[in-house]
Amino acid sequence: MCLPHTVLRLDRIGDVLALPKVQCPNHPDAMLVEDYRAGDMICPECGLVVGDRVIDVGSEWRTFTNEKATQDPSRVGDAQNPLLNGGDLSTMISKGTGAASFDEFGNSKYQNRRTMSSSDRAMLNAFKEITTMADRINLPRNIIDRTNNLFKQVYEQKSLKGRANDAIASACLYIACRQEGVPRTFKEICAVSRISKKEIGRCFKLILKALETSVDLITTGDFMSRFCSNLGLPKQVQMAATYIARKAVELDLVPGRSPISVAAAAIYMASQASAEKKTQKEIGDIAGVADVTIRQSYRLIYPRAADLFPPDFKFDTPVDKLPQL
Amino acid sequence: MEQNNSLPPFQGIVLPSVKGAMTPGMPIFSPMMPYGSGLTPQPVTNTNSLSLLEEQQRQQQQQASSQQAGVPGGLGQTPQLYHSQTVTTTTLPGNTPLYTATPLTPMTPITPATPASESSGIVPQLQNIVSTVNLGCKLDLKTIALRARNAEYNPKAKMWAHSSYKACCFGSENQSRLAARKYARVVQKLGFPAKFLDFKIQNMVGSCDVKFPIRLEGLVLTHQQFSSYEPELFPGLIYRMIKPRIVLLIFVSGKVVLTGAKVRGEIYEAFENIYPILKGFRKTT
Repeated sequence: MCLPHTVLRLDRIGDVLALPKVQCPNHPDAMLVEDYRAGDMICPECGLVVGDRVIDVGSEWRTFTNEKATQDPSRVGDAQNPLLNGGDLSTMISKGTGAASFDEFGNSKYQNRRTMSSSDRAMLNAFKEITTMADRINLPRNIIDRTNNLFKQVYEQKSLKGRANDAIASACLYIACRQEGVPRTFKEICAVSRISKKEIGRCFKLILKALETSVDLITTGDFMSRFCSNLGLPKQVQMAATYIARKAVELDLVPGRSPISVAAAAIYMASQASAEKKTQKEIGDIAGVADVTIRQSYRLIYPRAADLFPPDFKFDTPVDKLPQL
Repeated sequence: MEQNNSLPPFQGIVLPSVKGAMTPGMPIFSPMMPYGSGLTPQPVTNTNSLSLLEEQQRQQQQQASSQQAGVPGGLGQTPQLYHSQTVTTTTLPGNTPLYTATPLTPMTPITPATPASESSGIVPQLQNIVSTVNLGCKLDLKTIALRARNAEYNPKAKMWAHSSYKACCFGSENQSRLAARKYARVVQKLGFPAKFLDFKIQNMVGSCDVKFPIRLEGLVLTHQQFSSYEPELFPGLIYRMIKPRIVLLIFVSGKVVLTGAKVRGEIYEAFENIYPILKGFRKTT
């Protein structure tokens, strides 16, 4: 019996190469259903068995061990990470348990696991660093995966080989956040990395050039939800601040100002008009801008304050009583 | 940086004649001297003002040397030096001799001879020129730094010297060549056998104003492969033009800085290329 012709497709998920995917030739967009009992991949639209004898990489038998979750005897190796390592199938020597594994001094014979893949050691280190950095600011798994993919691409290209790996990792994290539509400011990345903003900025530009990608421009709205919730502002204030910042940019009241500064000034104006008043210093701490910067941008938007507020906003402090700096 | 002032300072303007060097008298080459002061009528062989001044200096020096005793040894060779340099001087394009080349005054704008700008009536002004010249001998930096007034270890001054035979000088066009020449003179006076080889302009910077505000966001959207605009890093848009290979810094206010040119024409060409693009992204409000 000859197998039906399957189409192997190399997927690009956001500029990043994923595993080759099998797909039904008649319905390329259908998500294949996996029948684990028979080891088949079946197309739900037409019932065609697309993949035959698929090897199951799950557990071999069910385990009921509650204690010592780290020691799962059913796994014969670490979880595969084929996207990033290129298939690590080498054997490692673990610590000995019996008496025979120790020599006369009490040191263990059979040294610890050697470097399993010395060429990828730096990459694995970088992945660990990326995960650490991302954990500090609670970034979700998809951003971490994207960062890892970017790092792998840059690393393999070797065009930025002289740069510190941590700097490249930080820049990749920044780019990944941007590409996922949830940009983080350079200062936020600096806060979780040991690299200076200047170096991250340099690496950022180099990586964009090396990978020949570009990123969207940042807008004021990208940061509103994060800054406002860090400040503890209610939803109305956040929505008002978003509206103010957007209107200010549309009316071109703040030409040449960084969107972060405009966002901070808008938050200041919205919070001062509501019951939850925040000082410039507090907002400056959260946003990573100096309070004089907020003052500068605030002075630019203050004259048109009445036009900038959303029409349904409930003022705790009326517009004419807003602080004038 | 403190300089040793044990010796009377060199005046920044260096002359072959002894008269002007050590005494605080009026140097022969002065900023006040009008162009073509009529000291000696010279046939104008090329329009480079530089060469004419050298001719004047040469004449004066020849006159002076006959009067002075104790001419330093290095003096004898300078006429030849200047003479040979005069021959090899290239006229830079768009150069008009209608200004006095002084190293101290800022450069006055030079209008190009060609009527290049029908589309834009704006001409970029050159702000800075960086050039290198090979002095052809080993330099003792310490001696120079201590004894020559305008030389410092850091490049804030007009010239600074590598210990490996080359000197870089910053300044404005044509004057940079003159300044390099003068510096070679200074070094020579200090006793090193300096020569003046391979004068080459490495970089030229120009700036201008298009007089209207620009929408940088639009520009970065359409010219993604050339532009880089990161307001967090730098308030201006960095546009890397491929032909000619020039980097332009474009600001919201409409000011444009062009850099990376080896010849003046590249600056003008780059600006003529970018001007219609910028007009398309003019802010309407």
